[in-house]
Amino acid sequence: MSAMLAWSGRFLLQRGPGLISLRAAAESPAHSVFLYRTVKTTTWFDEHLTEDNQKFMRKSIAEEYRSQTAEKLNPLKDEPWPRHDWTEGSRRVGLVAVKLGMAPIWTKAGEKHVVTLLQVQDCHVIKHLSKEEFNGHTAALLVGGKNVSPFYRSEEHMEMFRNAGVPPKQKVTTFKVSDNAIIKPGTPLYAAHFRPGQYVDITAKSIGKGFQGVMKRYGFKGQPATHGSTKTHRRPGASGPGDAAKVFKGKKMPGMMGNISITAHGLKVWRVNTKYNVLYVNGSVPGHRNCVLKVRDTVLPNRKSSLHNPPFPTYFTEEEGDLEEDLYDENLFVQTEPSLNLT
Amino acid sequence: MAVCGIKLNKVMFSLSLLRNLRLRNERFVSTSLCRLSPEEEPPKFTPPSKPVIVDKTQTVASLRKFLSPEFIPPRQRTDPIKFSMERKDMIRRRKVVNLPEFYAGSILAVTMADPNATGKVNRFVGICIKRGGTGLGATFILRNIIDNQGVEICYDLYSPRIQNIEVLKLEKRLDDSLLYLRDALPDYSTVDPNIKPVPISPTGEVPVNEIKVRMRPKPWSKRWERPNFDIKGIRFDLSLSEEQMEHAQKWAQPWREYDMLKEYDTSKLEEQILSEVQLKMSK
Repeated sequence: MSAMLAWSGRFLLQRGPGLISLRAAAESPAHSVFLYRTVKTTTWFDEHLTEDNQKFMRKSIAEEYRSQTAEKLNPLKDEPWPRHDWTEGSRRVGLVAVKLGMAPIWTKAGEKHVVTLLQVQDCHVIKHLSKEEFNGHTAALLVGGKNVSPFYRSEEHMEMFRNAGVPPKQKVTTFKVSDNAIIKPGTPLYAAHFRPGQYVDITAKSIGKGFQGVMKRYGFKGQPATHGSTKTHRRPGASGPGDAAKVFKGKKMPGMMGNISITAHGLKVWRVNTKYNVLYVNGSVPGHRNCVLKVRDTVLPNRKSSLHNPPFPTYFTEEEGDLEEDLYDENLFVQTEPSLNLT
Repeated sequence: MAVCGIKLNKVMFSLSLLRNLRLRNERFVSTSLCRLSPEEEPPKFTPPSKPVIVDKTQTVASLRKFLSPEFIPPRQRTDPIKFSMERKDMIRRRKVVNLPEFYAGSILAVTMADPNATGKVNRFVGICIKRGGTGLGATFILRNIIDNQGVEICYDLYSPRIQNIEVLKLEKRLDDSLLYLRDALPDYSTVDPNIKPVPISPTGEVPVNEIKVRMRPKPWSKRWERPNFDIKGIRFDLSLSEEQMEHAQKWAQPWREYDMLKEYDTSKLEEQILSEVQLKMSK
């Protein structure tokens, strides 16, 4: 859409303002096709640039990103914030990851499970909000993931990233953290932040289904297809008791389905690839392929105990640089092992 | 040699004694073979030339350029890194277990660890009627008829429970999917579980079995005569009239072959992946 606007806008610029008049359009119907949109609704970065300058901008921006994302600019090196030890009840920061797709895995007992592959792409801490700044109860960290173009973005939005010294991100989310788990803005986060065997919660926008009836939206039973029922096959039936003489609030009715934020709780991490920063998470997660989602330590009380001595406040490559490429859960079958016997 | 000769003489002597003892009785030890007089020297033993045994049942490593179909990623907007990570796992598994080349129509024997089977191992012989799935989730279906009952097992190709896959007969059929064997006469999917492996030539084209099957009378599980299945391995003339065959053409979509958006040319991708797989397998 924006490309369309840009195109038509440029066309107008070339023509000049003199041509744009209703009378002129009425006189020459061949031109009228192009003369609809006179109000510019979008701007584009190459508006006042020559072609050479555009090329230069694209190239220099890409280089800048690369240098910013590279680890040599890791702020941990120049002046890291004071570190604290893991205590029971601490809340760590989470990650922003991209959904790659699903694949099967097998356990050592020969059972098959499905996993979702999540890749952590250019995930950085953007901003730290202290207790007073956030809500008066807990501190919070803003974390962003997946680099995007700096153009088409507002100046306030860009300033946040500039302060952290990282490229702008497609998604920025807030994680409530305990006071001992705060991290300096600009620190890169990796998939090794989570370890195999622990449980995570994943929040994302579900796939939009549009306006749907109650059978698809809420699993109502509908009415019989035959036996004399007419025009009443997938309808909701009664909407309330007769005595109340009203429809209660929250009555399940047809409406927009999907495209809302959903959290899948307590998903096990089976495997972590530290080279490509891929998490293998049990089962399905909300959202479509390539969607950007939020991963954090689980809040389920029974699964919290899976968090034994995690990397705190996060995983730093300088400290644990000798991690293996793949970290596996102890029950997971590794493809290099011989076939199972099950004796 | 001398010791041998003495021993031989002794044996001959005892044998002749035996004969004399039970002269007119029925013999229960045959001595006729060893009728050598003690004076005659036994002819010098010359061992026969060692026979050269060519074990044709042994599967020879195929020299054909063959890429298993599950390596080819489907056309979708998935990050290619997902497929490359899956491929890495697939190659790792292939280094441990030999997953041979086979097609729909080949006869396979699959040995699989099964906690409920006697001996914890289950061997099933059948004809492969379909290969499905991509990546690590690739599957194949084996079909056989056991005690007049059709049996199908869907195996995960990369499951760690699979211990061995043996190709007993390598061949292709006219179709890529033989699911219509469910509606064909049972003879076509009956395989003897003790079938001997047919030797496979490591080079050259894979033989195509151009057999056309006779179907059971209708109704079938699917309308196989419809053009969307595009089945060549059924003798429709035996079970359907010409009118019926013509009627089935009502669902033909002849414009589909000219739809350039539906085209998915994998030949380049295939070559690229094949070279990558060969390189990693040889490491």
